[in-house]
Amino acid sequence: MAPVLIVENLFKYFPPAQTGWRAMLQPLARATLRALAAVSFTQEPGTAMALVGPNGAGKSTLLRILATLLLPTRGTARVAGFDVVRHPAEVRRRIGVHSGTDGGFYARLTARENLRFFATLNNLRDAEARARIAELAEWLHLGPALDRQVRTLSTGTVHRLSLARALLHRPPVLLLDEPTRSLDPLAAASFRRLLREELMDREGITVLFSSHALEEVRALADRILLLDSGRLLACASPAELLRRTATDTLEAALARLLPSPEPAP
Amino acid sequence: MNLYRPLRKLMAILRRDWLITRSYRITFLVEMLEALMGVASFYYLSKFVQTEALARTLPQGHDYFSFAIVGFVFFDYLTVAVVAVELSLREARENGALEALLVTQTPVPLLLAGSSLYPFLSASLRTLVYLGWAVLVFDFPVTSANWPAAATVLLASVLAFAGLGILSASYILLFKRGNPARWAILGISALVGGVMYPVAVLPEPLQWLARLTPISYSLEAVRSALLASASFASVWPSVRALLLFAAVLLPLSLAVFAWSLRRTKMAGTLTHF
Repeated sequence: MAPVLIVENLFKYFPPAQTGWRAMLQPLARATLRALAAVSFTQEPGTAMALVGPNGAGKSTLLRILATLLLPTRGTARVAGFDVVRHPAEVRRRIGVHSGTDGGFYARLTARENLRFFATLNNLRDAEARARIAELAEWLHLGPALDRQVRTLSTGTVHRLSLARALLHRPPVLLLDEPTRSLDPLAAASFRRLLREELMDREGITVLFSSHALEEVRALADRILLLDSGRLLACASPAELLRRTATDTLEAALARLLPSPEPAP
Repeated sequence: MNLYRPLRKLMAILRRDWLITRSYRITFLVEMLEALMGVASFYYLSKFVQTEALARTLPQGHDYFSFAIVGFVFFDYLTVAVVAVELSLREARENGALEALLVTQTPVPLLLAGSSLYPFLSASLRTLVYLGWAVLVFDFPVTSANWPAAATVLLASVLAFAGLGILSASYILLFKRGNPARWAILGISALVGGVMYPVAVLPEPLQWLARLTPISYSLEAVRSALLASASFASVWPSVRALLLFAAVLLPLSLAVFAWSLRRTKMAGTLTHF
């Protein structure tokens, strides 16, 4: 089966952050700050791949390029055969995006009103949207929360709501940026179970997610993509990483692959 | 071309904005009371400044109250056009919904058009309230108004003003705040557009500048239609000028917005504020 994600020699540079009045001109400044360099990988349909690496490794940048929210400086990225720069609309039809940092909902609307709104923007007809919202509410245990204003919902519920929004149009690919970042351990475990059992095993959805939680990586990932300062250090299954580094835990394998931090002056 | 899907999306955005406004229950009542206070202020101001000599200088031959209230109401439309998209963009950026909107299957121009709908409808309702108060309480003369001609002028004006709004939003998208585009559009229009005084009282260079601002055409035509029963044929030159503004400004502003969006996607500053 053809890979659903193909990333080839991807580079991304940002203009350096500025302060004061120069910050205003940042969008027009020269991009010299490296975020990704020569990143290439593929991902098979129905698998889960974890993006792992220290802060500033380029994980979110890569996800945002695949989500068509950022433009790459060089190289190509294709989702289900469509180039993210040349055919962004086709790409958006095939992806669901969920970030663990915030909900991006209209706080004074109910959860159902929010989902209906995003369903319409994703081309679902009314009857189709109603049925899909009911289905997702059952899967994601949103039932009682659906008719409450989003501002009154707990962080865990807003996370599940955000996942429901990402799944409204039945995308074959899910892009998750630190999906359990602000969840308590129990809610995070429940969220991971849901991803694995309901979405990956049952629906066969391809998942690309970034995470700092190795427990999450172990629970979900078929393959791990290790980034550091924008460079790809490894792309392999957890077992392969252990074998290659001659270690017996994921923590030890990643520590061996990552360059040692420079000693403080 | 199938228009059903875009129309449903526009309606969804309108419904969203209506539901958000409805959730602040007192807002509507306050706006209506503000309208009454605004009309009353103009009425007493015009009583204070009204003289026969002044009435003779007004191009449509009516009292200053009628002249000023029409100017004020149309300036409200221009303000809405210039700030609506910008406010919607800023709000979406601040509550984190901007990225969620941009990964949907809805093109950006449709999102922009949808975000302007509720503010324009709200401005129209405000206009009706203003004129309603003016007619009921302050003897605003409407019996001989040419309403179809006034509605045509309004529609052409909204199209012309919308381009200015998208240009202003492009600035905010790119540079985040301190919007000189908004200041230039609203400030220059208020100064030379004939909102509170006829364009004829301005010095020659400013009168020339007035010809480059859409609101001067809007006000000239709508005052003629509402206050002097002007026929459709006599307001047509102004409507034509407004449509010309729209034909130039709408594609230009959409191109500038698309370029700005591309720059922010390259710089990674889409969600910065």
